[in-house]
Amino acid sequence: MLYVHSSNCISPQQTFPETELCELRESENNQLRVKEPAYTNVPPGILRRMARAVRICVGAALPLIQGIQEPDGIIIGTANGGIEDCIKFLNQIIEYNEGLLSPGSFVQSTSNAPAAQISLISKNTNYNNTVTHRGLAFENALLDAVMLLKEKPDGIFLVGSVDEISDYNFNIDLLAGSFRKEIVSNRKLFDHPTIGTIAGEGVLMMTVSNQPEGSIARLNDLQTIHTSDEGLVLETLKQFLKRNGFPRIVPELLITGENGDIRLDKYYQAVEALFPENISVARFKHLSGEYCTASSFGFWMATEILRNGKIPDIALKKGKKTGFNKILIYNNYRGMQHGFMLLGKAEALSSSKQ
Amino acid sequence: MSRIMITGMGIISSIGTSLHENRQSLIDEKSGISQLEFYPTAYAGKLPCGEIKISSATLNQKLFSQPDPAITRTGLLVIHAAEEAVRDSGLSKAQLSSTETALIGASTVGGMCLTDEIFHDAHARAEGTPYTSSYDFASATLVAQKRFGILGEVSTINTACSSSANAISFGARLISHGFARRALVGGADSLAKFTINGFNALNILSDKPCAPFDRDRNGLNLGEGAAFLVLEREEDVKGKRIYATLSGFGNSNDAFHPSSISPEGDGPYLSMKRALEKAGINPAEINYVNAHGTGTENNDETESRAMQRLFGSPPPFASTKSYTGHTLGASGAIEAVYSILSLTHQELYPSLQFNNPIPETKFEPLKHYRKQSIQHVMSNSFGFGGNCTTLIFSIL
Repeated sequence: MLYVHSSNCISPQQTFPETELCELRESENNQLRVKEPAYTNVPPGILRRMARAVRICVGAALPLIQGIQEPDGIIIGTANGGIEDCIKFLNQIIEYNEGLLSPGSFVQSTSNAPAAQISLISKNTNYNNTVTHRGLAFENALLDAVMLLKEKPDGIFLVGSVDEISDYNFNIDLLAGSFRKEIVSNRKLFDHPTIGTIAGEGVLMMTVSNQPEGSIARLNDLQTIHTSDEGLVLETLKQFLKRNGFPRIVPELLITGENGDIRLDKYYQAVEALFPENISVARFKHLSGEYCTASSFGFWMATEILRNGKIPDIALKKGKKTGFNKILIYNNYRGMQHGFMLLGKAEALSSSKQ
Repeated sequence: MSRIMITGMGIISSIGTSLHENRQSLIDEKSGISQLEFYPTAYAGKLPCGEIKISSATLNQKLFSQPDPAITRTGLLVIHAAEEAVRDSGLSKAQLSSTETALIGASTVGGMCLTDEIFHDAHARAEGTPYTSSYDFASATLVAQKRFGILGEVSTINTACSSSANAISFGARLISHGFARRALVGGADSLAKFTINGFNALNILSDKPCAPFDRDRNGLNLGEGAAFLVLEREEDVKGKRIYATLSGFGNSNDAFHPSSISPEGDGPYLSMKRALEKAGINPAEINYVNAHGTGTENNDETESRAMQRLFGSPPPFASTKSYTGHTLGASGAIEAVYSILSLTHQELYPSLQFNNPIPETKFEPLKHYRKQSIQHVMSNSFGFGGNCTTLIFSIL
């Protein structure tokens, strides 16, 4: 489908500019927030005006596209864009009873602002798209890149996702039942599954193309489905695996979006049970927290594992730690939106179809 | 590669709750822009809008046997338009719920029409409202996914005012690349304090019905609505009524400013040019342009400039936002429907409230309804963040 050439992941863990996943950074009040790095590539005047989601996204994206050919398109998945500014503006509307307001927050809050700002700063007039499909915004942004690479086979595309925690969306999602009512440390997220999980945020930006040379990893296939029926999820997975050579070819590692929410365990257990006992299983929501585009953290982790050859200890659920050529990622959002992504080392998968 | 055919359409706007009503209003040159009667805002009576004169409760009762307490007005508009499109195309329930059917929605407001409810929930005052899972942009698409049981690719796009134009091209591309066999594509937005106050803070809302491309235009009117199209592969539509084909689409970012278009209209020029390239036709073959034409100082001048660069002297053009107001994330799909109606009935809909041309270009939009033989219609949608998209529809 496509080859990943470079990536930057700014997350609640030490993943940017250098990656160091030996020590788990701990959650506070059921939230895992990004520790913002110093941005060396963005003019300070522009930085100041940016919403946080826009800032971390631009901060991750710009170093990737400086010094390479101009990307033929920019695609970003984000469920909520700059939600903090969005609700700041709604607060002003209520507090000033629709009086005279400053448009700053309104302009920053539109969810296409991250992709638009990258185009604006890099003066890129090519294709530009923002996918806002809640728990599948990242997967659907990738699908757009896959199609663009069929339309322009020699192109390079900048693709990724971003979502931020604000106190406001945290409260809204808490009322909706997404998060634990009691405080739980991310270290103990999986110890006592109950209703709810912890919140997270982050950005992943990548350059992708059809060229295997110099790539980090290959996305071999991608499938999504909307359903709450775990039987249908399994059926979708079986078809997905079959068209990718299963049972002749079996991924050695399964990365799941398990998040300590007991309501979602049935999906993750059913998917795990489909594979042989000796398959390794890793998880990441205790590193990233849960958010709509959290599967991008799992995607980034898979590319790192393929690059380094080993799983960080803190991510391993069971099985061996090394020797991976093919990795399957399964994530679901609120038990309704399910995504499967199959990644591999460029050479391991280059002979199979698609 | 097989052509993408439009076999069904559905629409709800301030000029009608069906395809038929919308077309009749366009023929009658009847605008839907009026003072607000339903939406509660401090600007009711001051800033005219393209409001659909049906309450959300009435829509909910009409569409659901058991009114859904968690659905927003945006979601209701989606269901209203999508159901008409599905009926119109004659898709069966089985076809609709198949894994081969995609659903691509678009919205810039989503559930944010519920300003006061969001304020309540964001500040976690005791119990939540029924809407805690309905505020995001995807919520309205997900309502339709559930309603129709769609198991194919489902997505939502927000590129500001070009959102649903991109939803339409995304659906067509899914079909072309074999990721779907058919697609239900479109978008919806409802009036919201969020956008009324946002655009007002930017000083681009008119206190009069908007006058696109007029020298003395002084801003846009916000509107609300939804439109959906059914796209199918040419080989699947034998014996079906075919409205038109989506022959071209182009996307560009203007890369100039977060909330205004570059003086020479670079993004608009490129999106129009790319759509023509995709369609494989020359500028001179375009018979009619449904312009973005918001009625703001910046848009109409830069769009005129871009048309001048592309066409020299442009073909007949008009902005149907003078009927519906600017329906934001819905406008690309609503104007796609109007463009296709033009082709189907071989007729051109005029712009309203035009008196004097912009001095720099002297372009005059079409002022009166007329019958004309046409083959290719272009529809422009340009958004905040520089997101420009152009669609071209053609008859066979």
